[in-house]
Amino acid sequence: MSAVNMMLRRMIDTQSIMNVLRTIDDPEMPISIVDLGLVDDVRIEPAGDTARVSIDILPTFVGCPALEMIADNITEKVGLLDGVSAVDVRFVYDPPWSVDRITDDGRASLKEHGVTVPESGSRLTVPGHSGGAVELRASAVKCPFCGSDATTLESSFGPTRCRMIYYCQSCRNTFERLKRV
Amino acid sequence: MITLPDNLKRPFADHLLAVADDKLMLGHRNSDWTGLAPILEEDIAFSSLAQDEMAHAQALYQLIAGLIGTSADALAFGRESEAFRCAAIVEAPDEFDWATAICRQFYCDHFDRLRLRRLARSSYKPLADLANRLAAEEQIHVEHVDSWIQRLGRGTDESRQRMQRSLDALAAIAPSLFEPIEHEHELVAADVYPRAEKDMFETWRNELEQIANDSSLKLDLHPPSPQAIGGRRGKHTEHLAPLLEEMCEVYRLEPNAAW
Repeated sequence: MSAVNMMLRRMIDTQSIMNVLRTIDDPEMPISIVDLGLVDDVRIEPAGDTARVSIDILPTFVGCPALEMIADNITEKVGLLDGVSAVDVRFVYDPPWSVDRITDDGRASLKEHGVTVPESGSRLTVPGHSGGAVELRASAVKCPFCGSDATTLESSFGPTRCRMIYYCQSCRNTFERLKRV
Repeated sequence: MITLPDNLKRPFADHLLAVADDKLMLGHRNSDWTGLAPILEEDIAFSSLAQDEMAHAQALYQLIAGLIGTSADALAFGRESEAFRCAAIVEAPDEFDWATAICRQFYCDHFDRLRLRRLARSSYKPLADLANRLAAEEQIHVEHVDSWIQRLGRGTDESRQRMQRSLDALAAIAPSLFEPIEHEHELVAADVYPRAEKDMFETWRNELEQIANDSSLKLDLHPPSPQAIGGRRGKHTEHLAPLLEEMCEVYRLEPNAAW
């Protein structure tokens, strides 16, 4: 093995692959797939002078239409790294993706774009629903624009399968919120 | 992880087909409302419900296809009606009556969530992982439909009467969801199809009753009789054939086409 190849081999580590993954945004949200918590595992397997890379991705929602694009982007960009001979992207459901996996940076970036995220460890239901009694108006979800609590759930379904729509009565903006899964 | 004995593959596939077929038909019925729902938010909601159910069905068909050696598309669009395992209630048309659509959803979504939670305990890990994920998504459907039951049940006299009429009309076929599937006993014994923690029918009825009573509505549900319709055995209502004809029309023109 030449000295140059030895160097390349050393360069392919998990960190350099994660750095590439941080440059890949979710096609439907202004946030990288790493900040969104989609990347569960990166494995590097030496194959001669090069390495095969396997990446486990957790889908947000089952059959999310963005998955194929995400896989293609990963395969293309990680495949450009020196010393990578093959990239294998797998979708796994264990552990299940949850909004709790979104990083603080990710939350800040989403908030800037008017999308709020349920707090880590919060109740696993749509706000406004408590067992048998549905109160249609209560929400206590903070508006990402003005910070007011005077918000109401407009619709449990939004522009993509993972988002809901809220309305702020203080600043009269609509905003989005990720579903609590 | 357990490996599935060969003699259980077909019965296991049949049990999972019941789940996937229910979802595919309900999703297809939901998609009818795209562009026609009473308000814009519901247009989006029912389109999203359709997308969710079809995505769930696709993931399940993929799992089944791996078990019995076929493809998800062939399972969804390439079978004759006798090979489907869906229940009568998901076949029922709503004639674009909002109360009917909501009540059908009410019966089906609560059942679906219960069933997925049960399947999430399967010792067959690919199913358990998937069902766990699907149950979390189904939770949102249940909350959405419950809010409609309450809104309309507590609304005007007219809305309450129309909801009660639709609940009653569908009560006869809603228990079709519980019709038995052959060889359940063997699958439960092998722990791949987990035993229900409690009587599923009672749990379902109690859940529904709690919401209905809170919404000035009454429920009258009875376990399916042995002479029931038989969707789980491939005996379907007259509504399935036209539904399949429409849904499978393009696929059947050229079954081997690549998309």
